[in-house]
Amino acid sequence: MKTISNIAMNTFVKETGGYVAAQLEACTRCGMCADACHFYVATGNPEYAPVWKIDLLKRAYEQRFTLSGKVKLALGVDKPVTDEDIQKFSKIVYEACTMCNKCSMVCPMGLQLGPLIHEVRTSMSNAGVVPDDLMKAVNKQVEEGSPLGVTDDVYDDRIEWVADEWEVDIPVDVKGADTLVVFSSIEVMKFPENIAAIAKILNTAGEKWTLSTAGREVVNFGFYEGSEERTKMFMQRIFDAAKELGVKKIVVTECGHAYDALRWTSYNMMEVPAGIEITHIVGLIGEYVRSGKIKLKAGAFDNGVITFHDACKIQRRGGHIKEPREILKILAPNSFKEMSPSKEQAICCGGGGGVIAIKEADPVRYAAFELKIDQMKAVGADAVVMSCSNCRLQFTDCVQHFNLDVKVKGLSQMVADALEER
Amino acid sequence: MNWTAVLEFARGPFFKVALLVFIAGMAYRIARIIMLGWKKDRVPPRGSKVEGAAISFLKGILIWPFIPWVKDTFKRNPIIYIAGGLFHLGLFVVLILGTAHMLVWKSLLGFGWATLPLPIVDWLAAVAIVAMIVLFIHRLTNPVMRLISGWPEWLNLLFVFLPMVTGYMMTHHLFFRYEVLFSLHMLSVNVMLIWIPISRISHFVFYFFSKAIHGADFGKRSVSP
Repeated sequence: MKTISNIAMNTFVKETGGYVAAQLEACTRCGMCADACHFYVATGNPEYAPVWKIDLLKRAYEQRFTLSGKVKLALGVDKPVTDEDIQKFSKIVYEACTMCNKCSMVCPMGLQLGPLIHEVRTSMSNAGVVPDDLMKAVNKQVEEGSPLGVTDDVYDDRIEWVADEWEVDIPVDVKGADTLVVFSSIEVMKFPENIAAIAKILNTAGEKWTLSTAGREVVNFGFYEGSEERTKMFMQRIFDAAKELGVKKIVVTECGHAYDALRWTSYNMMEVPAGIEITHIVGLIGEYVRSGKIKLKAGAFDNGVITFHDACKIQRRGGHIKEPREILKILAPNSFKEMSPSKEQAICCGGGGGVIAIKEADPVRYAAFELKIDQMKAVGADAVVMSCSNCRLQFTDCVQHFNLDVKVKGLSQMVADALEER
Repeated sequence: MNWTAVLEFARGPFFKVALLVFIAGMAYRIARIIMLGWKKDRVPPRGSKVEGAAISFLKGILIWPFIPWVKDTFKRNPIIYIAGGLFHLGLFVVLILGTAHMLVWKSLLGFGWATLPLPIVDWLAAVAIVAMIVLFIHRLTNPVMRLISGWPEWLNLLFVFLPMVTGYMMTHHLFFRYEVLFSLHMLSVNVMLIWIPISRISHFVFYFFSKAIHGADFGKRSVSP
């Protein structure tokens, strides 16, 4: 039978190896993860507790793998997973989870709840129970190469315009370059100044870099969806472009989820071209500053209070926690103040994981952002800096929605504005 | 009722059977997890997985069960957090450093060790019992806890609570004759031992899997777990 519950259950079974099973076995159902979830804290809806988001995965595991689960099923204590269950949980795992993995930081057993919820999304995706808005964006990326409709022509026009407007050299499709830089369409369409800024930094550092028209989109909506097939498809485009151009390095720009996919997931999913290093623009800029390849005007942004928002996929799950702080201590030694909690303990913006692309998720997305507002108010922030354009989209939208008096800045842009001439 | 006979049965053949079920059941569950297959992680690391796992265990066992403010999140719910920590502390001290229990271990393993004075063990036992009641009330009243609690969760609490309470009553000679309390204590211990392999009380074993995974996942990203 090809019901959606059947497909979903079979996906769970396929995905369940020791990694998943050991963690499901370890869960004590203590419920502590609830308090770590910004969606639960903001709304008080118990169904947003991370442990509940993996409930289907747990039931699938118990019913198909364990003796006690089979007995419970036979006795009627546990019921088979139904199509309605799948439909209901689809809303929960797509609309009220950014897979920021903050819950894993408080889990006494250390469960990697973010990745486990990603497994739940994978089964939803196979069963075809994905929110319409998200699926439309995925399909657009399949067909046009970008969820925001950045086709070849749009891309070329846009990049040419940025190069003209900001008077900066932007090499495109240069064979033999060392570094392939891949932007997200959010930057291309909504934050073009970021492209100019990053180009300026790379040029100043003397990097031999290039963009690629074929590998122009770093955003991975297949990864949001949880579809293994489409996640690979979108990453393959970038890897093919990298091979074609013969680069040694791929730089992911200010997109968190894409970094998680390319840097931390691709190797276990597919063949990554040998000899290519994958890194994030924040890591690269940090390296430039440390090695002296670029010099920054000290105190260039030293007025008011500036704080830094840690992106779940670039800081907590990406590891680039030190670099932004080193940079901000140069740019704003007196103005820079940490929010609490921050770094690997940071609270997510609420817009990642595809949530911002789903219209129906707007109420919970705004509610979750109120936690960020409280955090910013607590330090009296006049400006908030971040290294993820998805977070930035959420911040920009929410600052408008709540009518806040806070400037939203991209880190690369601040660096570009404070570059010392060489 | 002949309580002496009940006691002989409970601490004799029944205990042996329960212990056997416990050991075989847990061995089966561990073996199954190990044999489910583990994909090799091919991601080039930025930091050390081993270091991450080590820090993860250190934090998990020594530091944060008792210091909720280490993790900012628990400012919202410190009592539950501390109750969980104290319950486990009390449980392990009584089980390992209580003289009566050490003697049981000695009879099973063939060697013993120094124990803590009774008043300390006794206080910690009382603390663990109170902590368990706090956790029970929390499970009963918190909406998330109610959502995720099925009958196995309630049985977990009951089957751990009974040996603790009967043990405490035994030490203090409360309400019943000693043989009666001892019998009830052993019977409830046996039921718990049989229950552990088919329940989530077994988490004390899988803890070592999940914490290692957690530490390695953070360590390879060079993020503090």
